[in-house]
Amino acid sequence: MAYKVLVVDDEDEVRSLLDDLLNREGYLSQACASGERAIELLKKERFDVVLLDIKLSGTSGLEVLKKIREHHKELPVIMITGFGYDEDLIAKSKQLGCCGYIGKNMPVSQILSTFKHLVKKAKEKEHHLK
Amino acid sequence: MSTAIKKNTEMMHKLLDNAGVILIYLDRDKNILFCNKKAMDITGLNDGDIIGKNWLEVLFRDKSSVLKRDMLKAVMDESMELNREKDFEGIILDKDGHERLISWNLAPVQNDEDRVEGNILIGQDITEAREKASPSKNIDKTFKDILSGIKEYALYLINPDGFITYFGMGSEAMLGWSKRDIIFKHAGILHSPGASSVGLESILENVRRLGKYETETGLVTKTGEAIPVILTVNRFFDSGGKPSGYIFIAKDITERKKIEYQAFQAEKLAALGQLSAGIAHEINNPLLVISGRAELLKDERDSQKLIKGLDLIDSQVQRIRKLVDAILKFSHKKPAAFKEVEINEVIEMVLPLICCNALPAAEIKIKKEFEKNIPRINGDPHQLQEVFLNLLINAYQSMPEGGTVTISTSNFRDLYAQVRVRDTGTGIPAQHLKNIFMPFFSTKDCGTGLGLSISHNIIKSHNGSIEVESQVGRGSTFTVNLPFIQKEVAGGL
Repeated sequence: MAYKVLVVDDEDEVRSLLDDLLNREGYLSQACASGERAIELLKKERFDVVLLDIKLSGTSGLEVLKKIREHHKELPVIMITGFGYDEDLIAKSKQLGCCGYIGKNMPVSQILSTFKHLVKKAKEKEHHLK
Repeated sequence: MSTAIKKNTEMMHKLLDNAGVILIYLDRDKNILFCNKKAMDITGLNDGDIIGKNWLEVLFRDKSSVLKRDMLKAVMDESMELNREKDFEGIILDKDGHERLISWNLAPVQNDEDRVEGNILIGQDITEAREKASPSKNIDKTFKDILSGIKEYALYLINPDGFITYFGMGSEAMLGWSKRDIIFKHAGILHSPGASSVGLESILENVRRLGKYETETGLVTKTGEAIPVILTVNRFFDSGGKPSGYIFIAKDITERKKIEYQAFQAEKLAALGQLSAGIAHEINNPLLVISGRAELLKDERDSQKLIKGLDLIDSQVQRIRKLVDAILKFSHKKPAAFKEVEINEVIEMVLPLICCNALPAAEIKIKKEFEKNIPRINGDPHQLQEVFLNLLINAYQSMPEGGTVTISTSNFRDLYAQVRVRDTGTGIPAQHLKNIFMPFFSTKDCGTGLGLSISHNIIKSHNGSIEVESQVGRGSTFTVNLPFIQKEVAGGL
């Protein structure tokens, strides 16, 4: 069964691209533009994984991650950012409980393979816990 | 004609020819009806060349002196209109082409019906007298020797009409003009608007208002090159207390400017360095869209979707191009050049860069409040951009938790273009406020401590001011005032 992915990015072009790419890869992707909207959607629907941009207008990506963790302790959240490889950001994201980190500066094929790998690992962990 | 009358007429002619002054009688249209021998001697023209001709045309045969001619015409028109005597000084070319300084007295002549029917013009050649009486002659020789030994200063004097009457000390060395060439020329040739932020008329206006005026400006050399100087101008008075001119002392600050320029370039690069993470973010996002869309288009066969995808790619390329242009324009090395600029345009140029200064975790809103139709200022757009980018970076960095930065422009009292950069950040403690424009003073870990001191110097060289108000926990407001261009008034000074 295909995994349901929630894509959160405030830039229209980036959001629709990630949405299109993930759908092509066989995921069931749904996209939204803000952290607030993401929290609302997560209350209503079940998702297998969240792909969350760090720099969002309104509530920042890191704040959204914190809020997600209040209600969804185990939901895999992968952070994505245009800031590239930033040790501080990676450390902060991990501390808040993300399961992986993707730089938008990576080649598209690598972004997709990293995403697949992180989802697989998270699902294995979930399975193991069950 | 009776013998007695004939004798009288001859005597009168003799009297007029030997009076030692230039005597000219003009009709209402300023055509010469009579002139004495002195007038012909000094101009090298004879009766036939002069009588019936327009006086202004005869006197200003030199095509380059249209401005002087128009100024004099205005003086005469006023005198005739108000039926009032007028004294003024002016320069004419003698028959050998040398400039002579003439003190003129213009007196309207009325007919029986009290209407002005002409003018008597009496001119006295005061070239030598003025040279003798010029203050330089009165300066003690020792003092003069000391002054002439100082090379990095130029000292020159101008009379109330703006003509150079003394050109001494290091003036020749600094400005390339010889005394011979420049004495009695209008000082406007040293104070070309392109070289300086403040014109001659504004300088003199300030001296008249304040008694003494100091400004940073540029002087034009004989070869047309601009030299940066600190100019101090004072008025001086004759023994009767009548203003008799202005003393200009200019200090060459070329070396200081060179060092300032290097610091300015270094600080610009440091500013870009502080923005680098944001710039990377602003480029990485469109790059992802470009490569991602290209990837998806490989399998796309629908021509409509193909076109849509290519348009998306193109829009992202434009986005990167715009940013790269802004970076290049900002970091480009350019010598200081003053020109007429609109303050809103200057600020618009830096806004694409500041959008890069977004911190990952903080939401910062930028609010633009621009007043329209603010008069132009005389400024160096590149230097001013550096100032505003610096103020905006500081504002962003003072809001690690997010906030709003407001940049506003306005017409302040019809004198200044005012720019205010207001943040809702951490604010500056009172004990730091007094040091904030000092070089190498910084409260930030990443700062060079030069940003605000360089900004301060730049604004000072634009004859403007920069001030800060701040409250800890509430935020800071930086206010920059830059003077509007004052239109030079044609005519006497």
